[in-house]
Amino acid sequence: MTEAAVEAEHVVVDSVVRDRIRVLIITLAIAIPLIAWTLTQMSTLAFFTQILNGLSFGALLFFLASGFTMIFGLMRIANLAHGGFYLMGGYVGITTTLVTGQFWLGLLAGGLVISCLGLFVERILLRRIRGMEKPEVLLTIGLTFVIGDFSLAVWGGDPRQIEKPEYLKGAFQIGDSFFYPKYRLFVLALAILLGSFLFYIDRKTKIGAIVRAGVDDRETVAAMGINIKAVFTGAFIFGAFIAGMSGVIGAGFLSLLPGEDFVILLFALVVVIIGGLGSLEGAALGAVVVGLIDAFAKALVPELSFFTLFAPMAIILMVRPNGLLGRAS
Amino acid sequence: MSMIESAGQARKALPITARVQLAMLAIALVVAFIFPFLASTFILRLVTLALVSALFAMSVDLMAGYAGLVSLGHAGVLGSAMYGVGYVASKTDGGFALQLLVGFAAGIAASVIFGLMAMRSSGVYFILITIAQGMIVWGLATLLVKITGAENGLPGIRRPVVVETEFRYYFVALIVVLVSSVGLFIVVRSPVGFALKGLRESETRMRMLGHNTTWLKFQMFMLSGFFATIAGILLVYLNEFVNPTDVIIASSALPVLMSILGGIGTLIGPFIGAFVVVFLRNYVSLEIDRWQSIMGLTFIFVVLFARDGLIGAVKKHWYKYLDSKGSGPAALAATEMAAPPLQSG
Repeated sequence: MTEAAVEAEHVVVDSVVRDRIRVLIITLAIAIPLIAWTLTQMSTLAFFTQILNGLSFGALLFFLASGFTMIFGLMRIANLAHGGFYLMGGYVGITTTLVTGQFWLGLLAGGLVISCLGLFVERILLRRIRGMEKPEVLLTIGLTFVIGDFSLAVWGGDPRQIEKPEYLKGAFQIGDSFFYPKYRLFVLALAILLGSFLFYIDRKTKIGAIVRAGVDDRETVAAMGINIKAVFTGAFIFGAFIAGMSGVIGAGFLSLLPGEDFVILLFALVVVIIGGLGSLEGAALGAVVVGLIDAFAKALVPELSFFTLFAPMAIILMVRPNGLLGRAS
Repeated sequence: MSMIESAGQARKALPITARVQLAMLAIALVVAFIFPFLASTFILRLVTLALVSALFAMSVDLMAGYAGLVSLGHAGVLGSAMYGVGYVASKTDGGFALQLLVGFAAGIAASVIFGLMAMRSSGVYFILITIAQGMIVWGLATLLVKITGAENGLPGIRRPVVVETEFRYYFVALIVVLVSSVGLFIVVRSPVGFALKGLRESETRMRMLGHNTTWLKFQMFMLSGFFATIAGILLVYLNEFVNPTDVIIASSALPVLMSILGGIGTLIGPFIGAFVVVFLRNYVSLEIDRWQSIMGLTFIFVVLFARDGLIGAVKKHWYKYLDSKGSGPAALAATEMAAPPLQSG
């Protein structure tokens, strides 16, 4: 490598680091006064409860957003049916658990049924319009309406929850006076597990290398003899699987009802808009931010709890149109 | 065939097309003014709804079809105007003028906020941001009980006494929609309209040419928002009611469906699409309670197989007919005038 090239590389790395630092400063500048104000509004104990609420909801959002962002990064498809996948996966899980009495079977069934649906959608529908950004998005939103209506026809309009196994019921005691629902802690742990797994796959394995290369340059990857179509299908099915599974997980502490598909989609979208489309770290960061904002908003200003998503999104979009960790298009 | 020859043929073909278009427009206008004397109140109401939906769909198509920026949250603008009117009518004792003023201000304010947020993005990112915007308006509508009445909505909105009947209100809607359509017609043929088309073809090239595309997109939001606001005010007085179902995502997706179904990137397309969708919805709902599925399936079908919409199909056959008579436009003119492809940009 010539000296100039080394120098150029330094400049690039420097600018990336400086960029990350700027993101950090912006985040802190907004977060610290908010935290200070929040602490004046509630007790420390309530504050930590809300932190955990936010993180566990953020964990659920990470499940959804990671699949969404991976599909987008690889295939350039914004799969709006992700909300529908979540809802229907949850319903399938509820029914399976009711029939078999096994929570884990429900979890698996939710994921598997939705990945079959994903296979159908990718192979039969999306393949016909591959590469046309907007028709793809519009097709997936049409699909969400069909899935939502189908779910309404099969499972009805009443809010539904899943039957949790005994060991996930009740509260977990920390110290003398701090109780927190076990299930939410379980969701948090699951998300950390999945997150580590995804990062490991992404950074350390050949599949991850192929996927990352596919995100950067699909044509070259295909030219190197990798079956990029199979990679696409695999990624889509995997994303659908996580979405279906997250529906079952969500059914344990949120209710499933018609319309919830679009609500959860909104949260997932805000996560990827804030974090940056196509970036796994972005999905994780966005999920934490959105989860926390939502938890505190619900506790402090319940009437405005949707609107509170608006403000950070607006600010971040004005400063960084591609999200916190998104790359410039 | 040389280019000059084919261009000459196109010029010869054009007047026929234009004459047919004018004749059809005249017939449509005559029908529009005569049929209310023959139709039932029910049909009249449906047609009024179709007219208002058409205006809304055209405002969405200004973005989706002309500028290539699909908004899936425009019901947020429409709904803000509706809630503005509804709030004054339902929660205060403000008169008609104040209702209009607040409704208008709310719609324009929503456009400004939406525009500021989305003006720097494009493509899929733009769609995602607009979805979030629309959903957040829905969230406010369901949660701000004191202002929006949540699920119960805002009752007690009344049309002014002069236009109280469905019959008279139809003419109000017709005239407002016609005037707005002329306004939109002028917009799409203005420099801004052409710049928007440039945005659709290539935003990078537009920027290279020295256009401030961010400002252009903001202008687009304001223009589109202006007409969506008018549609919202017409709609709230038509229904005399507003509740969160007016701002659900399906309400934002419908005008997009209308545009594609009729022919995206034209003004007449959304108009025709609106009539098809409104009547389809009404008659489907009479038979089965599965409108959402029908809408979703129509979306999928249109996107997969009929991206040029009805107008595209008619144009294709019309040109084929002209070609068979020897006066048809050659390939050059045909590609110039065919409905723009949805996938560009």
